[in-house]
Amino acid sequence: MKGKTWLFWGGLIAAAGGVLFQTSYDVQDLEEKLAGLNRKIIQEQESIQVLKAEWSYLNDPTKLEQMAQAYLALQPTEPRQYMATDMIPMRPADAVPPAVQTPPGLAPLPPMVRAPGTGNSQLAAARAPAVPNAANNSGTTGIVPVGLPAGAALVKPLPMDKALERAPVVVPASLPASGALADPSRANRIKPAALVPGSARAPAEKSTDRAAPAAGKLAPTAPTSRPTELASRPTPAPAPKVAAAPAAQQQPYQPKPTDSLGMLVARLGANR
Amino acid sequence: MSGQDLGGPAGYGQPGASTGSTYVPSPAPSPFPPPAPQPSVKPRTSLAVALEQSRYRLMVTAAVVTTVFTAISVKLAMATLLAGGGDPRQHVALEIGETTNNRADIIDRNGNLLATSLVTQSLYADPKLVSRPEEAAQKLVSALPDLDYKDVLAKLSGDRRFVWLKRNLTPKQQAAVHRLGIPGVAFEQEERRFYPAGPLTAHIVGFTGIDNNGLAGMEQGFNKRLIEEPGTPLQLSIDLRLQHVLKKELTATVQEFSAIGAAGIVFDVRNGEVLSMVSLPDFDPQDPTGLNPETLFNRATLGVYEMGSTFKIFNSALAFESGKIRVSDMFDAAHPVKVGRFTINDYHSLHRALTVAEVFQHSSNLGSVRMIQLIGVAAQKAFMTKMGFTRPTGLELPENGWPLVPNPWREINSYTISFGHGISVSPMHTVAAAASVINGGFFHKPTLLKRKPGEEIPTEQVVSRQTSDMMRRMFRFVVTEGTGRTAAVKGYLVGGKTGTADKQKGKHYEKNSRMSSFLGAFPMNDPRYIVYVLVDEPKGIARTGGFATGGTVGAPTVGRIIKQIGPLLNVPTLDENAPEILNTTYLNAAGSTNWQQSLPPVTAPPPSKGSTVASFPTQTKPR
Repeated sequence: MKGKTWLFWGGLIAAAGGVLFQTSYDVQDLEEKLAGLNRKIIQEQESIQVLKAEWSYLNDPTKLEQMAQAYLALQPTEPRQYMATDMIPMRPADAVPPAVQTPPGLAPLPPMVRAPGTGNSQLAAARAPAVPNAANNSGTTGIVPVGLPAGAALVKPLPMDKALERAPVVVPASLPASGALADPSRANRIKPAALVPGSARAPAEKSTDRAAPAAGKLAPTAPTSRPTELASRPTPAPAPKVAAAPAAQQQPYQPKPTDSLGMLVARLGANR
Repeated sequence: MSGQDLGGPAGYGQPGASTGSTYVPSPAPSPFPPPAPQPSVKPRTSLAVALEQSRYRLMVTAAVVTTVFTAISVKLAMATLLAGGGDPRQHVALEIGETTNNRADIIDRNGNLLATSLVTQSLYADPKLVSRPEEAAQKLVSALPDLDYKDVLAKLSGDRRFVWLKRNLTPKQQAAVHRLGIPGVAFEQEERRFYPAGPLTAHIVGFTGIDNNGLAGMEQGFNKRLIEEPGTPLQLSIDLRLQHVLKKELTATVQEFSAIGAAGIVFDVRNGEVLSMVSLPDFDPQDPTGLNPETLFNRATLGVYEMGSTFKIFNSALAFESGKIRVSDMFDAAHPVKVGRFTINDYHSLHRALTVAEVFQHSSNLGSVRMIQLIGVAAQKAFMTKMGFTRPTGLELPENGWPLVPNPWREINSYTISFGHGISVSPMHTVAAAASVINGGFFHKPTLLKRKPGEEIPTEQVVSRQTSDMMRRMFRFVVTEGTGRTAAVKGYLVGGKTGTADKQKGKHYEKNSRMSSFLGAFPMNDPRYIVYVLVDEPKGIARTGGFATGGTVGAPTVGRIIKQIGPLLNVPTLDENAPEILNTTYLNAAGSTNWQQSLPPVTAPPPSKGSTVASFPTQTKPR
């Protein structure tokens, strides 16, 4: 009897000890994992901080203006391009003709800020179901939304996840290499081509979501044949010598693609 | 424990072990002699002595051991049970909003980053641990070419225990040094302040020293706040886009007129927020010491200047406020005023009597002096005090200039102050005071912090609503028909006042160095923003006919600025000739505010002429 009691208690103690050991090791594991995660979070936060700084640095209005002058046909907005909402006349309810002419009682639309050419291509996109070959016309107007292969994509908008896959993912090259970002399979996604021609890339993000409302509102009344005031302006084409002059000025701004953090730190004046 | 030890030795000690022991047989009258026979007394005694001795020794040893062990166990109990241990047992996940920074970011009103902290690595050495300084120095210089070999060698062979070799390495450099594997050389994680906007906001944000302590601007003014709450960014009222426009236009003006500097302010008259503030020349906050120290000077807040004719704003407001002068009253502007050895004259005299409106329109010094003669010195002094011209503005920057105010305030001072000489205030003073004159009379202390929506704005009524209304008309009159015509922007109803002040060098005023300024506001039917531009020592150029006055230098600049910032600020464009606009902004030279009388009697002005959107003929209004 006594031996059995001892056996029972001994067994119990051994079992408790075993469980305790197991738990203790589990906890240690978890703690290590947690510490690792915390370290990663801090690292990510630091990377985010760097990216934020870089984003702000690249968005410096002075530089943006220089780039816009060099590569875009956009100009600063002017007071005359703005108007109060109540100045816009109501559209007569019955006047929704398919024809592209302005109803007699209606004032023409005010000139809108738009890169030359995009106006036409957007309208073409809007009317794509009716005029299937309109997308071909838009190809001639100069600016083609990249990543949207001709008319088909416009008619059937991509599902969100597919669209995201197509969007160029820009990974900063020299982040403090923490696992996820240094993943070589992702590094393949960097497409320098997606970075360079700013004028060609600009409409890509907007064209899909703009096309839908435009089909309802803009298409019937908007004049396509009549050039708007802005569109008829001479386009300051990015001629090589024009582009060359600002490029020379911008020399300090050109970020080397390999070492963005290094660029920043160098600019911090560490070398001075 | 001790009992066992004592009991251990033998049965020998027991009989004589302790004198008071009950073990001792009672018949013995005395402990030692009777039980022991005579011959064994001596060895017995020596044995007892030895026993006694060893017993004491054992007791002392036992006591020491007990004390020590007790102390250890008490300490152990305290360490394990009572004081919750050194390290926290429980590891906690990081909070979401937690930041690793030691210094808060500074952002603009739209959330753009103006200053942030980045983590970098710095290289240091402990020379005691560096075994071969020459070799180490050579290796280091090969990895970091911008280090100087002799310098590094001197540092490494010194006898200090800590020397910085290089602060803020890039990750590449760090890896290179790491690979060298020099003993005694190590890295320290540091933070470095980074200013993405660069010189654009240099005078507002300021800069920090190498230890991340603010040395100028908001970095200094809010040093404590930035360190104590590193998680929440400090939001300024500055708008980076406006800042860019302002700086661009000021730079162009400075270049065109070969000026030595300029200052510009965009100010929200409704709540006292400074939306933009530029002082030229400016500096790079990453390297503030490398350049001319002159560039650190903030002309917009620290510099105090004689403002010249822009002070006629306050002279006129005072005149209306006193109740003694109305806008149509006439004042002699033909004859110079002689005070002692001074003669006050006009820049270009009209040689006739002028109404108050014309005095403002043509910026007549003589008319202003005649006005102040009627009002009196005491009233002027009280009014200028109320306008905040006798103390710093209370802006949050450490660079806040004290105005130079005449003391005593005599009659001659009151004459010169009426047209803006003899009192020196900062541009920020002028802007804050002018805002109160046109916004309905509410003085708001200027601030660089963004006001929270719905926040109560501390305010003080300094002029009446009627005075403010008349001053709006006067502002507008200067731009429609006065000295500030070049500031006009179609659709934005710009109003303003030019200012040209001769600069004082030593005891004299110099004829050819002046401060040209323009204080513009828009839209004048219900002012929302003031745009102020001050250009230091502009030189006349051919395009302006050799002039470099406020009307030729400041006004066009302000016009260009308003044209660009109006859309950014969401100011609706208005038809300048619409009747409800004319009702609130019209004034003519005779001092009449009735615009219908002045119109040609037969036809109304062509409707579409003043329209901001030319293609809207439907928008005609019956007149």
